[in-house]
Amino acid sequence: MSKPGIDGHWRGGIVVSRAIRDAGMELIFGGFQNVQQIAEAAIQEDVDVIGLSIHSGAHFAYTQKLLDLLKERGVLDNIMILLGGVIPAKDFAKLKEMGVANIYGPGSMTSDIVEFIQTHVKK
Amino acid sequence: MFDKNYLYKLELKKQEWEEKYKKLKERDAKFVTDSEIPIKPLYTPLDVKGDYFEKVGFPGEPPYTRGPYPNMYRGRHWTMRLFSGHGTPEETNKRWKYLYENGETGFSAAVDALTFNGIDPTNPDGAPEVGTSGVPLYCIDSLFALTENIPIDKVSVALVVEPFTCAPVCSMYFNMAKMRGYDISQLIGTTQNDILTMTVGYIPYKNSPPNHLLRLACDFIEWTVPMKNVPKWHPINFTGYNYREGGIDAIQELGFVFASACSHIDNLIERGWKIDDFVNRLAFHLAAHKDFFEEIAKYRAARRIWAKLMKDRYNAQDTRSLQFRFHVQTAGSSLTAQLPMINIVRTAIQGLEANLGGCQSLHTNSYDEAICLPSEEAALVALRTQQVISDETRITNTIDPLAGSYYIEWLTDEVEERVWKYMDKIEKVGTIDKALSTGWLYKEMRDAFHKRRMRLESGEETMLGVNKYPVSYDTVTDVFRTNEKAIEIEVNRIMKLKERRDNAKLERILDKLRNVCEKEENVMPTVMEATKEGATVQEVCDIYREIYGIWEPPLAI
Repeated sequence: MSKPGIDGHWRGGIVVSRAIRDAGMELIFGGFQNVQQIAEAAIQEDVDVIGLSIHSGAHFAYTQKLLDLLKERGVLDNIMILLGGVIPAKDFAKLKEMGVANIYGPGSMTSDIVEFIQTHVKK
Repeated sequence: MFDKNYLYKLELKKQEWEEKYKKLKERDAKFVTDSEIPIKPLYTPLDVKGDYFEKVGFPGEPPYTRGPYPNMYRGRHWTMRLFSGHGTPEETNKRWKYLYENGETGFSAAVDALTFNGIDPTNPDGAPEVGTSGVPLYCIDSLFALTENIPIDKVSVALVVEPFTCAPVCSMYFNMAKMRGYDISQLIGTTQNDILTMTVGYIPYKNSPPNHLLRLACDFIEWTVPMKNVPKWHPINFTGYNYREGGIDAIQELGFVFASACSHIDNLIERGWKIDDFVNRLAFHLAAHKDFFEEIAKYRAARRIWAKLMKDRYNAQDTRSLQFRFHVQTAGSSLTAQLPMINIVRTAIQGLEANLGGCQSLHTNSYDEAICLPSEEAALVALRTQQVISDETRITNTIDPLAGSYYIEWLTDEVEERVWKYMDKIEKVGTIDKALSTGWLYKEMRDAFHKRRMRLESGEETMLGVNKYPVSYDTVTDVFRTNEKAIEIEVNRIMKLKERRDNAKLERILDKLRNVCEKEENVMPTVMEATKEGATVQEVCDIYREIYGIWEPPLAI
């Protein structure tokens, strides 16, 4: 779970992190990271999912940069990207087209996020 | 407050009524307040304890339960102050003028994440966020653009920056005002300057450790008020609102702000000032959340607690030192992206709480709050919502209209008692910077927002459109987008400034600032010099980072 950029709205990222951990999954809370740091940590830790918590309105910029970087490193096919935060529903289609697996806007239930990961990540 | 024989008669009658009540069915619900105070089915004079003069009294007189001023809204309405800022200073200036023309009576600058953290737009880490969550204010030129043709000598301006960037941003504002020919000793306004906002309200990005933030906050209070540079300014606004939004309850909200206020007061007293030299300029910013009566009781209790705290703990002599004055923001976290029009109703009810509770200033949220910065239309609806309350409802005909309600008076007592206990708990951990650096406050926040999340997910707490009568998130309203060219515009603004300024002279001033920081002297005079010569916010903050270090908050999951 990571917060790209410098916006400090942190409640969502922590609440979701706790729910994922409580569901028995291993979670690394990256806090503030730029996209290079996120990609580096994801590769080193061999993660299945990267969760990005974005409340700044800059979701397109950060997500595109990260996707480009993961593609460049040849790991994009092995890692699922999930987005959460203040992200307008209007942007969901474009984000999914870019390669994001799912997006959780305001009012999402943590149980849905946990279920999505458990269904889509094969162990 | 009532005659003994009368209460005895009442007790008997009440027992009779209780017998009847017990035979009837109760809804399957938890009858508690938002902060989980158990609520009885009925309140009577039996619940109102103590003496009227001691507990309630008169507005403008101790214990100030009914209000800080004798006339309250019969004298003038609260200030209608919408927190606004987006894109660029020019666009924000346009929005401010639009709201002013429509009856807004105070301005408030919501700054972007870069301004909050002392980061210039040339830094790639934050560049995509220029102007996306507020107005970018990176250098003195931005302040000129923000206030162009705004009567800053007549209308108060709130600068919502925190201790880390308070000195550079506010000094830019004061320098701009001086250059425009204003006497800054006459300026009116507020700086948020709240240590907890940028530590537990948001996570700070490359800010300095809490002990230094506390000192920087106090430097600003000292320089403006007791040193009389801008004596009419409110140099700090203890912003319970921001951490309340993180999930804590009304009791914790007041506990946090009062414990924080005491740490700042103690620091200023250690610097040799007397309580009455500065304390009447300290201001507060509270939330208006979902529990209607509990919030009103909270405002009334807050005034009483403050008066007692100032009198009993600090022996304040000036009556103005005992008067608790506060701004309110309706609860953003109570609003939903689903069914956005329902947010107008929620906000109207919360605004009413603030006004029935006697606030001095109010921000009402826009119906698009849950998904974007406010559109012009949504901001106007928010402003009009306050105007419905002030101009159409007649609730301002009398002062503190809910006083004397058995329930409200009982709940005010209950909230007060719980806040005193919670403050003791915080103060056992230490001063507010210790409560931060030890991680104690982070654990309190975490526990609070997990509890709230569980309440929402279990349905114990209702959110229409989300966990009751749910609708798809797709049905949202139009989304207001900030200016995509803002990065370019702001980078150019800074480049132009850097070409124009005397870099050698500025370097000398920044060296002096290093020295001041090392000696832990008041930074304000030197930061005033630096921003006048064109220092950017990041250039000042980089010196703090160099001398005080960068702090990683001990987050708890």
